[in-house]
Amino acid sequence: MTNQSTNAGAAEVTAIDTHARWPLLYLIGAGLVWLIVSGVLSLIAAIQLHSPAYLAECAWFTHGRVEAMRETAFIYGWAANAGLAIGTWLLGRLGGYPLRGLNWFVVGGVFWNLAVAAGLIGIAAGEMTSFAVLQLPRAVQPLLVLSYAATAISGVLAWSGRKRAGTFASQWYAVAALFLFPWFLTATQVVLLWTPVRGVVQAVAAAWYAEGVFALWLAPLALAGAYYVVPKVSGRTLPSYEAAPVAFWTLIVVGTWTAGRHLVGGPVPAWLPTMGVVGTSLLLFHFLVLAFNFKIALTPAGTAMNFLRFGLLAYLLYGVFTTIASFRGVAAHAQFTFVTVALEQLGFYGAVSMLFFGTLYYMVPRLTGRDWALPGLASAHFVTASTGLVLALVALAVAGETQGNLLLEAKATYAEIFQQVSVPLMIHTAAQFLLIAANLLLLVNFAMSAWACGEKACASAAGLLRSSSSMEASAS
Amino acid sequence: MSAPTGSDPRVEQAPVTDEALLDSHDKLLGRQPDDKAHYRLLPLNLLFLFSGLIFFAGTYLGRYAGHFHPSVFNEHGQPPKAGAAVAVAVDPLVLGKNVYGQVCAACHQPNGQGLPPAFPPLAGSEWVAGSEERLIRILLHGLQGPIKVKGTEFNGAMPPVGPGSGFNLNPEKVAAVLTFVRKEWGGIATPVAAAKVAEIRAKDGTRPPLTVADLEKIP
Repeated sequence: MTNQSTNAGAAEVTAIDTHARWPLLYLIGAGLVWLIVSGVLSLIAAIQLHSPAYLAECAWFTHGRVEAMRETAFIYGWAANAGLAIGTWLLGRLGGYPLRGLNWFVVGGVFWNLAVAAGLIGIAAGEMTSFAVLQLPRAVQPLLVLSYAATAISGVLAWSGRKRAGTFASQWYAVAALFLFPWFLTATQVVLLWTPVRGVVQAVAAAWYAEGVFALWLAPLALAGAYYVVPKVSGRTLPSYEAAPVAFWTLIVVGTWTAGRHLVGGPVPAWLPTMGVVGTSLLLFHFLVLAFNFKIALTPAGTAMNFLRFGLLAYLLYGVFTTIASFRGVAAHAQFTFVTVALEQLGFYGAVSMLFFGTLYYMVPRLTGRDWALPGLASAHFVTASTGLVLALVALAVAGETQGNLLLEAKATYAEIFQQVSVPLMIHTAAQFLLIAANLLLLVNFAMSAWACGEKACASAAGLLRSSSSMEASAS
Repeated sequence: MSAPTGSDPRVEQAPVTDEALLDSHDKLLGRQPDDKAHYRLLPLNLLFLFSGLIFFAGTYLGRYAGHFHPSVFNEHGQPPKAGAAVAVAVDPLVLGKNVYGQVCAACHQPNGQGLPPAFPPLAGSEWVAGSEERLIRILLHGLQGPIKVKGTEFNGAMPPVGPGSGFNLNPEKVAAVLTFVRKEWGGIATPVAAAKVAEIRAKDGTRPPLTVADLEKIP
């Protein structure tokens, strides 16, 4: 323990953090801005569900496009930026050397965000592809791959040039995410966009990609953060850590086989949905080991731990609920209803985003070298975000349950069904308001912290200049 | 190495360094010498549980995977037996009605009444009730110029619909649509044989559209 002194101090800041400060803060900031954009879009989409006339005369903001933009801004804007920043930071810290290739990291980050921005405009203009989770227009897809490759270089170098042979769970998950995403993104681009396969195989490939984005990219990045911060904050080793490698490989190997559950009742061979059921059931092992590993997350206090606890619980619930919903008998009720939307939100927002928030609350003070500028906003963020999220998920689940039962009745028309569920949908809209407010708190807090850090950096740089010029003066 | 910056209790403390974190967890994976002999095997209960899940998965897959057959769409379904598909015969009347709806109905109308002055009716037409060979040739080669049907003069151009034409119907479909038309509007129950269509097609090859004069030479 070389830095015993920091135990009592605020944030332990190493040279690794200060070296990569601005590139990482840039990605996090960009992610947070996208999170707000996605929040506003999902508010519009939520309003349109119970008041269909809202913005209906404006082609750019019709429900289909708003929904596509919301999803894209959330996954490729917020989650990708934050996840890459977290993954790269963890690989740097655990690798033991300052990050290399940071110029590539910054260039990649800039172009990635330009691609997402151009893509959103393209979607608004009606140029999206027809595949959920891969809705960015064809034109920006190559840029997405190239800029991702540039951004990932720092993380990969930190992994391959690490100080010790032994590795930690955070590193496995982060490296797997860095390498797997470009693989299945390019593979999907080939079979869906460049040389499209025919007919029903498209639906299979799209489901596989959508599952991959969660199970092989965002969830691993989120878990990498949890595996690092929980033992760091609690100061204890993870219980049952011996089983962690098996949990990791279960996710990597089985993760995308669960895609078949989206195809229940579709015109696909019966073995594909069956494989989905089998995949989600096997994945229960992954969730169970995680539950054992993160037993120690229950006790420590603090904003980061609050978010991580919420996120881990949501992740476990996501595992259990997707398994239940994958069975054909349940899918007959739940498929194509708000239950599916609620489950997706539980995974992407409840689990991934909340774990990202938790890791960011631990990470950003170490990057800026100072505490959060407005610590009060941090706890307010947790209260607002968790309230909003629980409200949104419960409202969607209730709406979906009613909707699922009514859809199976031939007598109920589609408009009647939506009237029946309009109250939970309005609650969902209110919850979206709360979520925007919550995330604005984080954005403000982050901006103030980064600003304060920047001022300090400027001051010290000015001081350095002064001292060097005086040295020159004395030398001459 | 460190730069303490105030002591806000809300910022998470880190009681372990990265080095210590890696060390202690490496030990659990058995990668580092462990003097105190704290090695633990994968907990037996987890092992049993994983085996149980795999057993369930295997059983479920065996039972509901439809034998992994590409054309079994129902989890309780059985793959078709070899040769079973050959035995299924298509009813020429059903096929013919389908083809009529897709190809012919646009001009001759779904009810077969035609649309004067260009498209003659099929319902009650003496041509439909007449020679089978003429009808087959009309479909294979098309028909151009004036023609008298049910006492009215029509003048249009019917394109060929048989093999190699724009519609490219195979002999089976040509035979089926003629069977349907003759049964529906000519009152003739005898089906037109696909073999006969193929035979005439092979004999005639391709030629420009027929006229009524050409038709009258055909028996």
